[in-house]
Order: sequence, then C-alpha cells, then structure tokens
Amino acid sequence: MVDGVIATIIKAFLLINVLMVFFAFMTWVERKLIGRFQARYGPNRVGPYGLMQPIADLGKMLQKENMIPDGARPKLYLFAPWIAMACALGAFGLMPFGNVATLPFTDYTFHLYIADTSVSLLVVAAIGSLGFYGLMIGGWASSSKYALLGGMRAIAQLVSYEVAFTLAVIGVIIQASSLSFVTISNAQDNLWYFIPQILGFLVFFVAAVAESNRPPFDLTEADGEVVAGYHTEYGGMRYAMFAAAEFVNAITLSALGAVLFFGGPSGPYLPGPLWMLIKIGAFLFVLIWIRATLPRVRFDQLMKLGWKVLLPVATLNLLITAAVVAYR
Amino acid sequence: MGIVVFFLAAAAAIATAVAVVAQRNPFVSALALLGNLVSLAVLMLLLEAQFVAIAQIIVYAGAVMVMFLFVIAYVGPRGEVGPGERKPWQVWLAILAGTLIAIEVIVVTYGATFEDWAEIDGNYGSPAAIGQELVTNYLLAFEVVSVILFMGAVAGVIFGTGGRPRRLSNDEVLAKETESAELRRREASRAVLDATRESMGEGS
Repeated sequence: MVDGVIATIIKAFLLINVLMVFFAFMTWVERKLIGRFQARYGPNRVGPYGLMQPIADLGKMLQKENMIPDGARPKLYLFAPWIAMACALGAFGLMPFGNVATLPFTDYTFHLYIADTSVSLLVVAAIGSLGFYGLMIGGWASSSKYALLGGMRAIAQLVSYEVAFTLAVIGVIIQASSLSFVTISNAQDNLWYFIPQILGFLVFFVAAVAESNRPPFDLTEADGEVVAGYHTEYGGMRYAMFAAAEFVNAITLSALGAVLFFGGPSGPYLPGPLWMLIKIGAFLFVLIWIRATLPRVRFDQLMKLGWKVLLPVATLNLLITAAVVAYR
Repeated sequence: MGIVVFFLAAAAAIATAVAVVAQRNPFVSALALLGNLVSLAVLMLLLEAQFVAIAQIIVYAGAVMVMFLFVIAYVGPRGEVGPGERKPWQVWLAILAGTLIAIEVIVVTYGATFEDWAEIDGNYGSPAAIGQELVTNYLLAFEVVSVILFMGAVAGVIFGTGGRPRRLSNDEVLAKETESAELRRREASRAVLDATRESMGEGS
C-alpha cells in the first residue's frame, strides 16, 4: 500500500468500478464490431447506437430465476462463479496506470497503481491460476456431463498454455531484470520490448488468447461439442459472473501485454491512464477481430500448437535473450 | 494489522487441515487442501517471504492441486466415501507420529521468546535475493533438483506413451504392409460375397 490504507481502498473501489463499466462498454463494442465484421448492424435498439444494451442485458440477467440443478452440490455450485469473478478482478489490481500524479486543485500526490511489489508478475500468474478453480469447481459441482467435460477441457487448456505463457514472459523479466510492473514499464522508455522480444511477444499473444478462452481457442465452451462447457448449468447472474470473469481476464491479459511489451502507461502527450486504455483497447480490438475471422481449432490441434510449437519457440526466445543479456 | 492477519490465516490453516481428513468427499478434501496451501502462503507473506509465498501458490495451487482435482473429477467417486476398514496398527502409528510431531514442536519452541527479533532488510525474500542464493551458495542443490525434475519429465513421457516403441526394420515394415493389405483385400472380398449372398437370398 503505497498511499496508506484509506487512499488504497478508494483507489481499489474506483478501479473495480471503472473496470466493470469498461467491461460493460466492451461487450457493446464487441457485439457492434462482430456485427460489422459480419455485415450486420449489431445492437442498435436500446439507447443511442444501442449503447444501453449492456444495461438491458444486466436487467434481463437479474430477473432470471436462480435454480440449482438436480444432483448438484449446492454450496460449491453457488460458490464457483465467485471464485472466477474475484480472481479475475484481483489480478487486474496490480496493473500500473502511470507513476505519480497530483490530485487536481490540491497538492495531494498519489501513485497511479494500487501496489507495486517485487513479485507483481508472479502475483498475477498466481491469482490467474487460482481462477481456474472457478471453472473446474463449477463444472464438477453442476452434475452434468457437458459441464464436467467443459471444465476438464478448460483445465487441460489453461495448464498447457500457462507453460508457454510463462516462458514467453520470462524473456521480458530477464531483459528488465525485475518482476515489478512499474520497473518493467519504466525500463521501456527508450524501446518497447515487443521489438527485441518479438518471438516472445508472438508466443505471449497466442497463449494469452488461449488463456482467456477466446476464439479460436474457446474449446471449453464449444457449443457444438460440449453445449456451453463449464457454465452449461448456470443461468442468470451466475452465468453473467462467469462471462464477466472471462472478459475481465481478457482485459487483464491485454493490460499485461501492454505493460510487458508496449511500455505500459508511457507515451507522448497524453497522460498515462489514457495511454494504458488506448493500448488495452487496441489489444481487445485485435482479440475481437480474431474472433470474427478465425474458425475454432480442434482439441488435438490446440494441444499440438501449445506443446510442439509455442513451447519450443518460447524456449528458444528464452535462450537467445539469456545469451544476449549475459554478453551485454 | 499483521497479528490479526496471522490469527485469521492460522485459524484457516488449522480448519482446512482438519477438513482435509474429516471430509467424506475426495473432491471437497482436495479443495480443503487447496485452502490450506493458500493460508500457509499468507503466513509466509507475513514472514516477508514474498517469493516463496507466491511460488507456493503457483506450484501447489496452480499445478499440483489442479492435477489432483483433475484425476478425482474424472475417475474418482462423486459421492461420499465410506469410513473403510480401520486397522489397529494404523491407529497406533498415527498416535506415534502425532506424538513425535508434538514433541518436535515443543522442543523447537521451548525457551523461545519474543525478545530477540531477527533483523532483516527490505530485500529479504525478494526474487533477486533468492536467485542470488540459488546460483551461489546452493548451486549444487539447484542443479541436482533440475536433473531430478528432468528425470520426472522423461518418466512422465515414457509412462504416458506406454514404453518406448521398437523401431522396425525396412523388411518388417514391408511385411506388415503386405500383411495388412492382404487382410484388407480378404475383408473386402468377404464383404462382397456376403452382399451377393444376401441379395441372392432376398431374390429367392
């Protein structure tokens, strides 16, 4: 807590609310963009340009009946979406939006991040891996074959891609010789890491798409194969929490990409938070673009890509980086 | 603040440890073990060991427990498991082990006071400090562990693929191919024969 308890609580409160509003807005952007990619209008009935669509969806979700399927384990079934949601929000809390800022019209200075620890990157990885349990417990506790299969698929996919993901990120860690996001983003003032770490960035990006369960790697909820995967038996707000957790994870991974490879909040003219938003938005746009363009891969293709392509490439990148840094 | 967190985490650690053995459902037991590992990580954080705490969560919660739950969810029992058969020597062994651990705890903590704190700087327990130790003082242990892990990976591959496949010589490959071709041909002619017979049978 760099600014004391009260300021930290206020910052955390603001961050979560801004994040959720951003998430709601991004669901609208996603549907609008997918519509445009498919030569449709997308949502355009609720509010101007359909902007109120997320709020209408929220209202719909809130009114739905909360039911517990027969044979499910009620406590775990009800608890699983909370794990997913809490972990998704928690991982975002460490993202830096700049260094120090002054509150307008006062002399009060504060930091544009909630916490900067010496192990930030690992904390995000740890919270992310705890988030898997939401999917797994949800799939298991639902007492449904498809939910169980979806949950198992999710775990197999996430565990496989976590390896390549971590190896790709280690390149950046070696180059910045730090695990703290603030240090890493400050180290990129002269040169963004995606240029020297281009191999690492490519692996990171593919693995991040797979980690966030987004198309073309959305096998955990492939509707033609496992109905809706781990959240098959969920409805109403609980389904919405799973969906929100998934999208927030995509936002977190975008922010991670921006911090690790694109200099984080640094950039000319505009203030740090705005640069961060622009970079996150660019990442999310590419994710949506990919979703509208590429067909879903098969499960064996997914595993082959993860273990036989990404892992060796990430290892190669790691070796090159280590050699270059050692002889610099 | 620290003392409150300590007691919360300690209570959680004990409660989840009891739940691991008291729960009848293996899946719930495994989840309780997960809770135990996370509470231990909190205790490590209080000891300024940030890297160890996070490594504990990533390695045990993120990898080991996932595998446990994976296996239990796929092939384990879904419902409660009965008490099973309790052998008398197991009870005595458990009592003996418990007594030994209790003695160890008493010996270690006896005479300990809160008077002389160990002084540590802010760098203690950071990844840099631990990395420094690993590649200087503990290099041999570090390298040995990497070899052991590599052996584990190789063993996993061997078990997973069901032993090392024998490499066939060219003649053997040719023989196999001819054999399977012959089999396929026979199969096909038999199918044709059957179909003809059937149609003849229908005709008559």
